[in-house]
Amino acid sequence: MDFQLTEDQETIRKTVAGLLRDFDDQYWMRKDRDHAFPEEFYAAVAGGGWLGLTIPEEYGGHGLGITEATLLLEEVARSGGGMNAASAIHLNIFGMHPVVVHGSEDLKRRTLPRVATGDLQVCFGVTEPGAGLDTTRITTFARREGDHYVIDGRKVWISKAVESEKILLLTRTTRVGEVARRTDGMTLFLTDLDRAHVDIRPIAKMGRNAVTSNEVFIDALRVPVADRVGEEGEGFRYLLDGLNPERMLIAAEALGLGRVALERAVKYGNEREVFGRPIGMNQGLQFPLADSLARLDAAELVLRKATWLYDNGRPCGREANTAKYLCADAGFDAADRALQTHGGMGYAEEYAVARYFREARLLKIAPISQEMVLNYLGSHTLGLPRSY
Amino acid sequence: MEAEEFRLVREALRAFAADHRCDAAEVGQAERTTAQKALDGLGLGELRRSTPPLASAQECALLAEEYGRQPLATSFLGTVLLAPEVLRLLAAAGRHAPYGSRPTVALTRDLRFTGRDSEADHVAWDAEGAESALWIGDDGTVRALDLGGPAPTTDLLRVVREAHPGTPDSVLGRLDPEQLHAWRAWALVMVSSELVGAAASFVEQSTAYARDRSQYGRPIGSFQAVQHLLADATVAVEACASATRYAAWCLDHADPDTALAAARVAKAEVDVSAVEAVYAGMQVFGGIAQTWEHMAHLYLRRVRVGATVLTGTVDLLTALALPEPGPQVVEAP
Ligand SMILES: Cc1cc2nc3c(=O)[nH]c(=O)nc-3n(C[C@H](O)[C@H](O)[C@H](O)COP(=O)(O)OP(=O)(O)OC[C@H]3O[C@@H](n4cnc5c(N)ncnc54)[C@H](O)[C@@H]3O)c2cc1C
Repeated sequence: MDFQLTEDQETIRKTVAGLLRDFDDQYWMRKDRDHAFPEEFYAAVAGGGWLGLTIPEEYGGHGLGITEATLLLEEVARSGGGMNAASAIHLNIFGMHPVVVHGSEDLKRRTLPRVATGDLQVCFGVTEPGAGLDTTRITTFARREGDHYVIDGRKVWISKAVESEKILLLTRTTRVGEVARRTDGMTLFLTDLDRAHVDIRPIAKMGRNAVTSNEVFIDALRVPVADRVGEEGEGFRYLLDGLNPERMLIAAEALGLGRVALERAVKYGNEREVFGRPIGMNQGLQFPLADSLARLDAAELVLRKATWLYDNGRPCGREANTAKYLCADAGFDAADRALQTHGGMGYAEEYAVARYFREARLLKIAPISQEMVLNYLGSHTLGLPRSY
Repeated sequence: MEAEEFRLVREALRAFAADHRCDAAEVGQAERTTAQKALDGLGLGELRRSTPPLASAQECALLAEEYGRQPLATSFLGTVLLAPEVLRLLAAAGRHAPYGSRPTVALTRDLRFTGRDSEADHVAWDAEGAESALWIGDDGTVRALDLGGPAPTTDLLRVVREAHPGTPDSVLGRLDPEQLHAWRAWALVMVSSELVGAAASFVEQSTAYARDRSQYGRPIGSFQAVQHLLADATVAVEACASATRYAAWCLDHADPDTALAAARVAKAEVDVSAVEAVYAGMQVFGGIAQTWEHMAHLYLRRVRVGATVLTGTVDLLTALALPEPGPQVVEAP
């Protein structure tokens, strides 16, 4: 076993941390308060050449693995930018995976180099009002008309849709009643969010407000066949390919968020004096923080194992799911305890921990809930009967 | 019962418990018999013999709580509170002839309420001094089972024996559905009360230990982590005591379905909280609580087994999740 990061991986950490030092609490507080996309941050990360981290070199990226991608996103969240920062670039880092693996050469040439430079922003359109975790229930429909498809339907929660030029869009091309398996008959597109046919309305939400999440109404959107990713009817399986790495990325973001929350709690615990001594001297505050450290460390190890397995081409479903589960829990607990440590100030925006708290809560729900991770582990890993 | 009268009864029970508490897991039959005689000598069997009974359900629940505070090898729940209540309910409805033997209750092999098949595998629970065991069907039929040899049990102080169908005709009578609900609620409340007493007493004892025991030059109770653990345990005990006492109040004042719902809530709460409280207490005792000689395992056994006696939490929660029976939710205007 080797617990050492490679020199290149260490460099990624340090360089990213250095690059983001200028984006301080004030910056993120303002962006979150004003619901303003962090353009400057996005530009800095793009300028540093980080966005194409996992995109193959022939399409302008660095062709690095998921280990590097998770280190990057962990560091981004940990910089204090939290999920506002991570979500602003999340899709660029690994979201194009289905296109990289299954897209046509033409589609790749047209999109990947622009994603790598940051010039092209893409959002991810899966969830619908009637189809949350149960993706097979989507009804957004793409009807073939010659060399085009015409798409009608409604998506919900689509993050960054306001800021995006294109959408990676999951549709049905065969209705659920007409397919052998519910997972058949879905088709994936990477296409323009033509505002003449797509109405985008931000959802007022609890946190991570620098990046919008939106209702997306699609009305007779004409999409050229060339924008289809891979084969018709295979879209769901293309997404499945990317599921495990996606879980690892989310885990890394939760981990980074937990780390920064814990750092802030420790700092405050050492500084703040009540009853004539630093509050961190109380076991009642010190132990929960020590417990969070232990839990974050343990969760990190599972995450590292998962990314190692993936990068080495080994099965990693169990580890990817476990990493998501443990990191989301440890991250949220750390944020919760950081808030508690700050007392009343924890409720003030000035101290950032309230923001971390709101953001960390999200990761227990999206993109996959803790319950669904347990469903996976219960049925796939343990071999118990599927419960739903 | 008059308050003063109840105080005297409770003090008598407390004095009995102080005299006969077990300091070890091994209790000889002679000792058990002597203790059971002493307990029977208190005449607590009279409390619920007549209708209306001398003692209210709330008073009996408090006595069960008092009884649970000490490790005792006698039978109080089975032969004094649970089985006699079945006979009282039958007699109140004029549904049975006088029954000469001294019964406890029959439970299924995994210590759950009986219900379906009286021929199935049963045990007589809490059987010290008992001569028979009452089997109660889902339709209210009450049968007397004969007792066999000792059955294995994890709660080392509680006697459990084999139970077999009685000969020849063992049907004693039949509870109507309301009575059946009332009795099941009664049984849940009395068992819960005993566990509340056990948890409360154990937490008190571990708190006293935290005051006495010194490490790093100061009492371990001065460390916040220990204080908070005990504070949490106290909250847990308070939660199950409150739920149980409310359920006991319902036995005296509410209809049987409401009482049964409250009793299920109480038992579900006790199943979790009492066990947690004892875990916390054991942590405070440190290594000594891991020894056979220490009384901690007697409490642990009682609450761990207790959490599965009559019904387990899963069944309770499932029953509570059903819309009927139980209190209806009143829509706000
Ligand atoms: C801020 C934010 C950003 C998002 N961004 C995007 C995005 O960019 N693109 C996109 O496509 N989607 C996005 N989503 C949607 C997200 O992926 C979904 O919210 C998530 O998949 C959960 O689906 P749901 O909300 O419909 O919950 P539901 O599926 O309705 O589930 C509700 C609850 O029931 C539980 N549950 C459901 N089924 C089971 C079961 N079988 N066993 C046990 N429990 C079960 C769930 O765990 C959950 O607690 C975003 C969501 C949020 C909040």
